[in-house]
Amino acid sequence: MKFSLARPALALAITVTLASCGGGKATFPINVTVTNLQYPGLILSTNGMDYTVNPPATTGQDVTFAFPNAIEYGQTYDVIPKGQTVTNGTLTALGAQPAHQTCSSPTFPKSGTAGQLAKIDIHYVCAVNTFPLTGTVKGLTGTGLTLANGSTYLPVTVSPALDSANAPTGADVTLTMNPVPYGTTYGVTVVTQPTGQTCTVTGGANGTGGGTMDDAAEKAGGVTNLVVTCVKSS
Amino acid sequence: MKSSILRASAVSLACALVLSACGGGGGDLTLGGAVQNVTKDGLVLQNNGGDDTAVVYPYTSFQFSNRVSTDDQFNITVKPGAIPSNASECHVNNGKARANYYSIYQISVACTLKQHALIVTVNNSTNVGFTIVNGADKQDVKPDATSVTMSPVNEGAPYGITVLNPPAGHTCTVSGGSTGNGSGTMGPVDDKTVTVSCK
Repeated sequence: MKFSLARPALALAITVTLASCGGGKATFPINVTVTNLQYPGLILSTNGMDYTVNPPATTGQDVTFAFPNAIEYGQTYDVIPKGQTVTNGTLTALGAQPAHQTCSSPTFPKSGTAGQLAKIDIHYVCAVNTFPLTGTVKGLTGTGLTLANGSTYLPVTVSPALDSANAPTGADVTLTMNPVPYGTTYGVTVVTQPTGQTCTVTGGANGTGGGTMDDAAEKAGGVTNLVVTCVKSS
Repeated sequence: MKSSILRASAVSLACALVLSACGGGGGDLTLGGAVQNVTKDGLVLQNNGGDDTAVVYPYTSFQFSNRVSTDDQFNITVKPGAIPSNASECHVNNGKARANYYSIYQISVACTLKQHALIVTVNNSTNVGFTIVNGADKQDVKPDATSVTMSPVNEGAPYGITVLNPPAGHTCTVSGGSTGNGSGTMGPVDDKTVTVSCK
């Protein structure tokens, strides 16, 4: 008598427990953490769901969220910026990225099958886009010219163009400084003058080798109009 | 997985036997690692108090010439007093362990560079403020300012002051620094040599 009562009670308890987790099947929420998001525009997408990720209220904090619907055991997921396409292993469209930034999931898998891991945790990291800072060195015949953009990077050394007899020709030489992140300033200066010559920097947004990597510079694909003019020292 | 471990240890065992058989006690594991914040000569590392190894240009990694065998105890330290002159301290991470294919890839060395103030003298007769930059470091110059302190600069690093936006209708010139045009290399003390003049 006692047993026959206990057994249906146990069965009921099991049914209730199962019902509470979704009709007998385990479900998996797709949790996402986004680090270093600074600008709006990022839309992450998986399993037919889109989620617009806004920058955190406090700069520097991680943004965490879960997609509105959990998925069931055995379903696959692939969390990508909406519209991102990969063709033959090469990224051909970045998808819905934030303004001035590119987000990727470099170290943790962004795709898998629910149930492979106890918990689905996707991690995206956003980096501020950088743009080229380049130009031309004119009239350089001496050696030892170095230029710097402030103190962040080591100086860039520029050597003169040489003819077949290894004599300097003074022909134009390409100048390539370290790329500059969006929103930061740049100011290119001569740190050491070449032997026997004095070089001055012109170009950039302010005409003297300085400026800000702003929207206009971003639209132009960077700053490419630096001119370093070298003349014989007086 | 198991078989690869077995194979690796069988191979290393075989190597160890071969090496010991021909009297080469050097072992087959190379001790080395990545280096951060070193910009000039001066850093010397030691293993178990000897085998002095200098970190040389381009200062991104180091490698001991003497190899070690699996399970040898290694203890990599900075040779006392042997750090670059522009570093305030250097330390080794994961420098002490018994050698194996995992532990030898966990070693790294990082230094902290000395920093000094970059203070720019301002002669501004325009009564208008402007902005000066040292690369990505941007500082506003108030109309009545006579000097501006930029962000600190690592000793040995370059700097170059430029005026981002001269007051309209006025010209600004930058002088001083080791080149005379407002650029230079940070020395061992605070740098107050740069002057910005707007008129």
